[in-house]
Amino acid sequence: MNEATHPQTNKTNQTNQTVSIRLFGAFRQFGPESTINLMVPKEARVADIRQAMQSHFAGNDNALALLKASAFATDKAVLDDEDPVPRDESLSVLPPVCGG
Amino acid sequence: MSIHTDVTDSVLDPATALDHCSGPGHGAADLFIGRVRNINQGRQVLGVSYDLHSALCRNVFNEICAEAKQQWGEAIHLWLVHRHGRLGIGEASVIAAASSRHRDESFKACRYLVEQMKHRAPIWKQEHYVDGDSEWVKGHALCGEGR
Repeated sequence: MNEATHPQTNKTNQTNQTVSIRLFGAFRQFGPESTINLMVPKEARVADIRQAMQSHFAGNDNALALLKASAFATDKAVLDDEDPVPRDESLSVLPPVCGG
Repeated sequence: MSIHTDVTDSVLDPATALDHCSGPGHGAADLFIGRVRNINQGRQVLGVSYDLHSALCRNVFNEICAEAKQQWGEAIHLWLVHRHGRLGIGEASVIAAASSRHRDESFKACRYLVEQMKHRAPIWKQEHYVDGDSEWVKGHALCGEGR
C-alpha cells in the first residue's frame, strides 16, 4: 500500500500549528506528495481546516468543488466540522466514496 | 472469529470466503463478488485503479459487520474484503459473504455488507479508458461543508 503515515501536527508558534492532511482519490491530483500542510490556529476545529484548505486551493475551481463534498477523518472515524482537530492523529480529506 | 474484514493487494478468493462463511448449523451461505466491467456510462473501460484509506476502511468494515450481527444474530458469519491497486476487466474488486441458519438472514446480511460498504467505506476508483483518458468516478459524499 502506498500509504505512509504522517505526524499530524508540528508546533510552529504560540498561536498556530501546521497540520498535515493526507489526500485520497481525486484529491491526489492536487498534491504531488498526496499530502498538504496547512497552518491553522491551535485549538482549531475541523471547520478551520476546511477554511485553510479553501485558501490553499483558491482559484482552483475543481479542487474547491471537490472540497465542498468532502469529509475530514482520522484513521478511526469521520469528523464533523465542529469537532476539535485531534492531537497526534493522522488527518485525511475524503472525497465522495465509491467502493465495489 | 465469525467476522473477517480486510483490504488487500492480493487476488480475492471466493473459496476462502465461503470456507469462512460456513458452520455445522449454517444451512445458508451467500456470496457477492464485485467485478470490474468493461463499460461504464458508454465509455469503454480498460481497468480500474482502487485507492483506499486502509486503516479507516478496516474500521468501517468492522462497524458494518458488527451492525449486521446485531441485526441478524450473533451466530451469523461474515466476510468483507476489498482490493487495492489496479485491476483489469473481470477481476474481483470486492467479496462479501454471509452464512447463517436460514436463508433470509444470510441474503439480507450479505446485501447489507455490500450496500453499506459502497456508501460508507473510504474507497475511490479511477477508471482507465481505451482512449487513454482516466477519470475518478463520482461517488457518495460521506458528508461535507456544514455537516
